[in-house]
Amino acid sequence: MITVTKAPPYLTVQDCGRKRTRSFGVPSGGAMDSFALQAANAILDNELDAAALEWALGGGTIRFERDCGCAIAGASVRATVGGRPIAPCTSTIVRAGDELAVEKIEAGRFLYVAVSGGIDVPLLLGSRSTYLPGRFGGFEGRMLRTGDVIPGGDAELPDQQVHCAAELLPRYEAGIVHVTPGPQEDFFDDDAWRILCESEYRIANASDRTGYRLEGPPLPGVPAALPSEPGCPGAIQIPGDGLPIVLMADAPTVGGYPKIAVVTEWDLPILAQRRPGDRVRFERTTLEQSRRALHRRHADLQSIRQLARSAH
Amino acid sequence: MPSAHPLGDSAITIAFGEERSPALLGWIHAAACSIRSARIPFVVDVVPAYLALTVFYDPVAATYDDAAKLLIEKCTTAPSEADDRKPREHIIAVRYDGIDLPAVAEATRLDVEEVVALHSGRAYTVDILGFVPGFAYLSELDPALHLPRRAQPRPRVAAGSVAIAAAQTAVYPLDTPGGWHLIGTTNQLMFDPRSEPPALLAPGDIVRFEPLK
Repeated sequence: MITVTKAPPYLTVQDCGRKRTRSFGVPSGGAMDSFALQAANAILDNELDAAALEWALGGGTIRFERDCGCAIAGASVRATVGGRPIAPCTSTIVRAGDELAVEKIEAGRFLYVAVSGGIDVPLLLGSRSTYLPGRFGGFEGRMLRTGDVIPGGDAELPDQQVHCAAELLPRYEAGIVHVTPGPQEDFFDDDAWRILCESEYRIANASDRTGYRLEGPPLPGVPAALPSEPGCPGAIQIPGDGLPIVLMADAPTVGGYPKIAVVTEWDLPILAQRRPGDRVRFERTTLEQSRRALHRRHADLQSIRQLARSAH
Repeated sequence: MPSAHPLGDSAITIAFGEERSPALLGWIHAAACSIRSARIPFVVDVVPAYLALTVFYDPVAATYDDAAKLLIEKCTTAPSEADDRKPREHIIAVRYDGIDLPAVAEATRLDVEEVVALHSGRAYTVDILGFVPGFAYLSELDPALHLPRRAQPRPRVAAGSVAIAAAQTAVYPLDTPGGWHLIGTTNQLMFDPRSEPPALLAPGDIVRFEPLK
């Protein structure tokens, strides 16, 4: 059990999302930075898609009610357990009564706090993630509040520290995000592609779990909207004003704006961790390169998990 | 002939045509059904829409080219009839008290009573589900009621709002931003994540709206 002793403004339970219910209109949802979630789980030898706490926008504290393993990943924060600073992407053994305090989020946007065994809220439509607009999933379909007691952190304790090497992490600071072609790439001319890939865009204020709006040079020659068709997190849609909107975890399952490109699954965490005002650049890559990178990342996460297992 | 287009590194959009029609939609649903029942190991989810269907797949288990080839084959050989599921009929009770009802009457040069009679006077078919959980696109609205979407979407439309836009009508299943014209409200629950299936309506179902006094 974990008690929220001082809730930050935006704290939810998230896992890797709902992968098989899009045809009912259910967005995939889940962690905005799925790499950080999976890395924090791997360090604790959890299933990679186990549920964890997604922590955004500020400081707060939680108290562990029994001995367990804990790991944080994602945004850079100043955090302590029982008053001692803890390192990111490293397993920490916590004792019953210890408090994890996040003083502030210094860079990035979403922090993941995983506990050994995962957060044990009920599965709903194949996932434990919170979908706030629908008020379902996660912990009672809502953000966590001070005083909530959450089931989880009940697995066996690791007895050795496991760490995820820095070179395995996405290059968050560079803000370079790779894209592959979208289904309407042929509707746009070379000029539009050149502008998309050679310009610097800024994350607009109106950016949340549904989508990130970008400010910068508009794309020319935007084709008309189409009858609604499926999108996915990472899809870059271009509305009439030519300014890209990148769909994120809670985006509607279908939409009518043409999609010129899609952010690769392995670089979406880099974009997710950008804050309003931060800059981002797009670079074109191929499906084959993207697939190889995903393979590599999958293997990396499995080997961290293997390490955690042998540390038991 | 259906054609495959990548939607990023883990989804394929298969385009079936460029003109919306009930026949094309029937083919797309039949193809979706055929892909689902084939239980292809790399297929994660199948999402039908008006001109295309999108298949989400595991890119670690299959390359784009291999997945696209197999899926195109399934779509090409799918029977052109709708899936084998029996469509159900639903009656949804509506209070025609929507905030846009007077404006809709004015824009269509009808009385409010005529708008209500036209909206509740016919049976609609569920085309697709999408946008938010349980949102069903219903066709086809009487041509006298066709209006473009509102120029400015509302930041919040309440759950249970009955709305129209272009040739379609729908019930908002949850509070969400929305750009359709709100003509009524219903207490009917459209989506329950604990039900199986979670959405009240499924593609092919027939829906009638019954005015509440």
